[in-house]
Amino acid sequence: MCWAISPGSASGFDDMRRLILLLLLLMPAFVVAETDGEPTMRMTVKPMLCIIDKRTPLCELAFLVAWESERNGYYCLFNDFGEAPLRCWNDADDGRLNDERSVDKSFSYWMTGDDTENRLAIVAVEVLRMDTDDRRRNRRTRHVWDIN
Amino acid sequence: MQIRFIQAIVCWFALTACACIASAAEESAPQAAEEESRWRLGAALGYGLRSNPLVQSDDIPIIVDLDIAWFGERFFFDNGDLGLTLADNSALTASLIARFNSDRVFFGNTDTRFVSADLAGMPLAEATEFTVPDRDYAIELGLELLMDGSWGQLQMAAFHDVSSTHDGFEIYLDYGYGWRNQRWYVEPSIGVSYKSDALNDYYWGVRDDEVSIVLPPYQANAGTNAHARLMVGYQISRNWTFSLVAEYERLNDSAAASPLVDEQNVLGYFAGFGFRFR
Repeated sequence: MCWAISPGSASGFDDMRRLILLLLLLMPAFVVAETDGEPTMRMTVKPMLCIIDKRTPLCELAFLVAWESERNGYYCLFNDFGEAPLRCWNDADDGRLNDERSVDKSFSYWMTGDDTENRLAIVAVEVLRMDTDDRRRNRRTRHVWDIN
Repeated sequence: MQIRFIQAIVCWFALTACACIASAAEESAPQAAEEESRWRLGAALGYGLRSNPLVQSDDIPIIVDLDIAWFGERFFFDNGDLGLTLADNSALTASLIARFNSDRVFFGNTDTRFVSADLAGMPLAEATEFTVPDRDYAIELGLELLMDGSWGQLQMAAFHDVSSTHDGFEIYLDYGYGWRNQRWYVEPSIGVSYKSDALNDYYWGVRDDEVSIVLPPYQANAGTNAHARLMVGYQISRNWTFSLVAEYERLNDSAAASPLVDEQNVLGYFAGFGFRFR
């Protein structure tokens, strides 16, 4: 399980944006003040790790995505597989979605608010390939503690 | 024996140097981008034990295990084994391997004690100091064949001593089959290992100059060891694994009949957390 917390964003004229970015870098306390403008979003995905190999070349799983915001609002869930959101919620502060999918590469889910360019929370799902085409990597050495 | 050991070490270092020069040449050559790193680096921390079949010996504890391997196009280093891959195709991978013999490991964990009976159990007139004779590491060179498919994995190898330590040979066969269910992985394997007269006698025989009131002379003949292994692993995250490993090896009858041997069966286990760089 992994909780992701939303990053802050700066607004205003270009010069002002540069100045704010500089201040954000130099003053950690200022980051907290700036992030006050956006709701804190928490998001979980289960499972976050899927393992494939030669015998199971695809992860065919139902990913349970759950999110929770400190504020009611309009929120949308996206992933790497399409431009359109998987689902949007109106006037909600939490939500869940069961996303059935076949994948063979790592990907991400993320949440946005009204501004779909601004990701409020992001969770990466890792697809780990455990097999290898190099047989030498699977040779048994003679140690009892030879673990994979 | 010391001279033989030094010869063996010099020989091994020479082979390592050759492999290093070759691997450096491989790395400097232009090659296509590969996703899989040439290095396999990891460490496991846990607890395990490997029983010692020798008389007057201690079991071998396993607390930390390092996994250091490098796989080039042709040359590779795998936890002490040096390899030169001669053929690699859809049917098999054949490699020339240089390695240390594994039988020596038991002789590093023996004790010196005063005993009041000989190794056959007959009482002695007075307590006598007894030390298990030492044995040297041998460097062996051999051919290894690896095959795999939906039916499992097969490893066959034949090694001969090149360090003039035991002047014998070994033929090794191991078959394993793995099942994976998401994070869980189970792999049983079984195998046999034929040890020649010379190899068996060097490690398990008792030579004339070693005979004492406690230790009778013994000449070991060729024999076949059998082994079985079960590994259960759980992938905690990308880098972390929890593993349980149990291994059983039955020494060949000729080795087991040696007065140096107390137990014919060698048992090993390990439970621990492993970290692998990916």
